[in-house]
Amino acid sequence: MKHDKTFKFITIGIIWLWLAIFAVAPNGLVFLTSLLQQGDNELVRLQLTLNSYFDLFNTSYLKIFLHSLGLAGCCTLVCIIVGYPFAFIIARSTSRYKGFLLFLVIIPFWTSSLIRSYAIVAMLKTKGILNSLLLSLGLIDQPLHLLYSSTAVMIGLVYSLLPFMILPLYANIEKLDMRLIDAARDLGANKRTVLLKIILPLTWPGIIAGSMLVFLPAMSMFYIPDLLGGAKSVLLGNLIQNQFLTARNWPMGSAVSVMLTLLMGLMLMLYWHSTKRNKDAQDLL
Amino acid sequence: MIVKKPLKNFILAIGWVISCCSPLYAAEQVINIFNWSGYMPDDVLMQFQAETGIKVNYSTYDNNETLYAKLKASPQVGYDIIVPSTYFIDRMRHQNMLQPIDKSKLSNFKNLNPELLNKSFDPENRYSVPFLWSATAITLNTKYWPKGSVKGWNDFWQSQYKDQLLLVDDTREVFSMALISLGYSPNDTDPNHIKQAFEKLKQLMPNIKVFNAEGEKSIYIDEDVTLGMGWSGDIYLAQQENPALEYIFPKEGFIIALDSMAIPFNAKHVENAYKFINFILRADIAKKISMQTGYATANLAGVKLMPKEIRENPIIYPDESILARGHFQSDAGASSTIYEKYFQLLKIGG
Repeated sequence: MKHDKTFKFITIGIIWLWLAIFAVAPNGLVFLTSLLQQGDNELVRLQLTLNSYFDLFNTSYLKIFLHSLGLAGCCTLVCIIVGYPFAFIIARSTSRYKGFLLFLVIIPFWTSSLIRSYAIVAMLKTKGILNSLLLSLGLIDQPLHLLYSSTAVMIGLVYSLLPFMILPLYANIEKLDMRLIDAARDLGANKRTVLLKIILPLTWPGIIAGSMLVFLPAMSMFYIPDLLGGAKSVLLGNLIQNQFLTARNWPMGSAVSVMLTLLMGLMLMLYWHSTKRNKDAQDLL
Repeated sequence: MIVKKPLKNFILAIGWVISCCSPLYAAEQVINIFNWSGYMPDDVLMQFQAETGIKVNYSTYDNNETLYAKLKASPQVGYDIIVPSTYFIDRMRHQNMLQPIDKSKLSNFKNLNPELLNKSFDPENRYSVPFLWSATAITLNTKYWPKGSVKGWNDFWQSQYKDQLLLVDDTREVFSMALISLGYSPNDTDPNHIKQAFEKLKQLMPNIKVFNAEGEKSIYIDEDVTLGMGWSGDIYLAQQENPALEYIFPKEGFIIALDSMAIPFNAKHVENAYKFINFILRADIAKKISMQTGYATANLAGVKLMPKEIRENPIIYPDESILARGHFQSDAGASSTIYEKYFQLLKIGG
């Protein structure tokens, strides 16, 4: 028994140490830096100030925040619209194909998403695969200029993040008790009511979980707008990188980073809240 | 003081490890070089090692900001040679990060191209020795637009080029282009002039298709853009795959990016650094580096040793009358924040 305790202590201790060194300490340093001042000759001046946070409310930074939020929001919405029916079909398909279909969703993770973005470039470019295919089929007579547009950015983001929406949704829909739907039908609910009052509320945690996994990366995956959109817009990820390297304003870059972390914390709280409510509801049942 | 034996052994071991790792305590001659990636063929370093017996510790970086941040974050790191671009030489010399160069120790200094010496970023080359350079000028695809139809930066603003342009994704380069097109110096620090350049660039946005920093070569080859800014070394290579590309040195002037060798203030092996710089300045070595990396060398004697088709290639080695229109970037100092602010404003639409 005592032996077991030591083992537990050591394993948990190692994880704690790991987190302390590689998660808590760097985040603490970032937070500390965000409270300092930008230096001329040195990286930061050791003087406490909240200026970097006040500067965040500057219209141009707010615009970047709003733009990132808008793009990430659109991407999440498209992922829900595309991913929900897909997850539903997988979850409800016969078990013979289920494994294979899930396998297909996971396959893209075997390659780095940066490389996959370059592959999208190769497909969408003027002399790319898509254009030569459409041209040879005679469907178009001028190549389409898809690359370096907002369409290309959306294609890239949705493509990269869709599995993160499908997997939580699948996990949730699979658990859905089909008898509840039958019961609703027996009680005279039409298809719309079943969807809105039964299926959606019960799979809500899946939608929230999927949205979280899609929304935050969509704001910080700066290489996709850079590669596919022609770097014509600034996302939060670009802003942080730019403040650290080019503008050499480490406090500002840290402040943006802290804000992004806070945003993530807020969303985690929302998620926790929604699952808790759902659990309470299920306990009542 | 009595030190317990295991502890003593431990201290000795640590001392031994330190003396092995740190070149400071090593008996053999070494030199620590920090250079751009892809800027030095391995056999040149091996030849230096073989001829002088000095061991080369070589590491690389991908942008000036990384080099600068590293020197600032750990000043005791002890590099003997660094190769910053013009405006970083300027900043570093103002911040006392560089040692003055004693040219009497560099017998091969005379090999350098006088057109690239004594520029405002470092008057009389007190702190820097030019190494490799390239130009930022105009690339035009003659399959889409008549040859010679673009003469200068101001042509970019014509409405026929809607959604056609590539600009390099670099704050200073983009603003230099706009400032030159307005008739100002690319090193202007007047906030009003920078604002004017920003307003002018805002009008250019509908014509811009892509900002790119790494893959411009393939974008021009694939004809995803038909006009824009381009670095001479890249376009020279692109032209070999797509002969429709034309390279134009704009009539208003253009930017020359020059990277120079310098000795950091706290270099530990200064004598070896001079030996290395003088070795690199040898005509045969300069030729070797330039031919293998594809960048133009600042070494005129080295250029003269090259085959005619490279020596006379107008993209890599434009003639002196064109070179005279070139500008060198100097440090924007406190204005760099203004440049950055406007560049971000430009990308988020004003």
